Amino acid sequence: MNRWSKRPSGANVLAGAFLVLVAVVILYPVLMAVLGSFKTNAELSGGGSFWPAHWQFANYSKAWKGANFARFSWNSLFVSVAATAGTLIVAAMAAYAADRRDFPGKRLAIAIQASTMFISIGAVVLKPQFDLMVAVGLHRTLWGVVLILIAGHAGTYFMLASFMRSIPRDLDEAAMIDGSGFFRTFRSIILPLLKPGLGVAGLFVFRSAWNEYILPSVFTMTNPKLQTLTVGLANLRYGVSAAMQTDLMLAGACISLLPLLLVYLLANKSFVQVTAGSVKG
Amino acid sequence: MHRTRIKLEAVAFTLPSLLLTLALGIYPIFWAIRYMFYEYAGYGTPKFVGLYNFERLYHDERFWNAVTNTLVYAGGKLLVTLPLSLLLAVLLNRRMRGAGLFKTIFFMPTVLSASVMSIVFYVIFNSYNGMINQLLQQLGWSRGVEWLGANYAMLTMILIAIWGAVGNYMLLFLAGLQGIPRDIYESASIDGARPVQQFFYITIPMLGPVLQMVMLLAITVSLKGYESIMVLTQGGPFGKTDVMFLYVYKMFFPVASTTAEVQQFGYGSAVGFAAALLIGAVTLIYFYASKKLNSLY
Repeated sequence: MNRWSKRPSGANVLAGAFLVLVAVVILYPVLMAVLGSFKTNAELSGGGSFWPAHWQFANYSKAWKGANFARFSWNSLFVSVAATAGTLIVAAMAAYAADRRDFPGKRLAIAIQASTMFISIGAVVLKPQFDLMVAVGLHRTLWGVVLILIAGHAGTYFMLASFMRSIPRDLDEAAMIDGSGFFRTFRSIILPLLKPGLGVAGLFVFRSAWNEYILPSVFTMTNPKLQTLTVGLANLRYGVSAAMQTDLMLAGACISLLPLLLVYLLANKSFVQVTAGSVKG
Repeated sequence: MHRTRIKLEAVAFTLPSLLLTLALGIYPIFWAIRYMFYEYAGYGTPKFVGLYNFERLYHDERFWNAVTNTLVYAGGKLLVTLPLSLLLAVLLNRRMRGAGLFKTIFFMPTVLSASVMSIVFYVIFNSYNGMINQLLQQLGWSRGVEWLGANYAMLTMILIAIWGAVGNYMLLFLAGLQGIPRDIYESASIDGARPVQQFFYITIPMLGPVLQMVMLLAITVSLKGYESIMVLTQGGPFGKTDVMFLYVYKMFFPVASTTAEVQQFGYGSAVGFAAALLIGAVTLIYFYASKKLNSLY
């Protein structure tokens, strides 16, 4: 039926063994994080066995309540949901206007979007961005972080534009002739047809917002209450307490990793298709 | 009348996107271009110093150390990641059982947060009671390896970067491979071409454009990356893992564990600009080199 089972040749066995080896190396750190998050600190630093001696579910409640991970999780969720919703709305509106209409400055607007994807000067931009947020009074809230994340919507914009191109123009032209305005056509014709594209793009935006570290860490340096999971966790590494709390670190890491892993396992087809599609262009 | 209204509406639909991009994407670049000619510590009035920051940059050993480290970090990562991910893609491109499962596993690191995984890797590679050293001790190697010490920290960072990137490039290569018609391979194997010959005489040339695009992407991405280094070593020990954009970051937001440093927005802007130029130069060199290679085929 397939070549693998038909000819278990030496080369095929070797290839299979190699794939399994790579898979083990890839899975190892994640597996160690999950298993380690159920061990005691002594077990973790004393070279215990592979499986936890007793499953320490208490590590999670310790992280959740004691180390503020409930707060961090809420902040992460807020930032990710708001950034995803905002990015999708802003990018979909702009992509709709660019794909369906001509207006003065359209080429320039597209060129500006493209340029932001190629120029990178690193952390320099965080300072003027922060100053702007101070100027509008958003630097003490997570809205500043959300706005900056939304501003980086160029990738989503181009992704949605390519989805938009595959929606037949006849549909919105017919709606227009029937008296539907520019906005109504967008809301009741385009958006429903764009749903698959929005779903996939949303997955990508959510992932990068949830995983974002440097931006929220800069914005919440003096405001621990606003820290997200990535920031709160990294602070355990350089925290004030001298004793390393490995159990807490791993439980915290899992609180941050597991939601995304779950989303990935449920939707890995979408992730995989879009990543692959980006080269076929 | 109707036309203008629709034009106005289209402009209105573009405005949120345009304003956000101009304010938070474009303006900061011009901010940097202005302040790289200034000395500015965040308080008081910025002092215009002309080209002094670039003169300083030229003599700044820490910057050139960071440049070298960046090239080692990116080079080491790419040297393993690209061949390995291509090999995985070729292996998974054959009709075989479990290919989907392998793909799902290999791509998984791409979904996970680099900073969070860096914390996990810290627990794994930590010299005193890290998981790897515990394992080595159980195997009888009592001293273990100073994974995050001066000699091995860069190697460890490269390994972590490879771990995170292989699956992503595997998937991109796989997409390219799927565009190569299978009958080419079939007729080649009828003519007696062995798998290795097929790889070099069919796969690589047919993959050409995809290979070039993926490499371009890989080069720019790996020259820019610094997040996991920031969490794991903060550039240490002794600047051994300091890369360009981490150096820039530390100019703007001095990290707690390094010796007391002041913010240097002017000089930091100059360093950021220079780093961007260097990355642009490397990209251009690659671009021309790959064009030359093209004409050879």
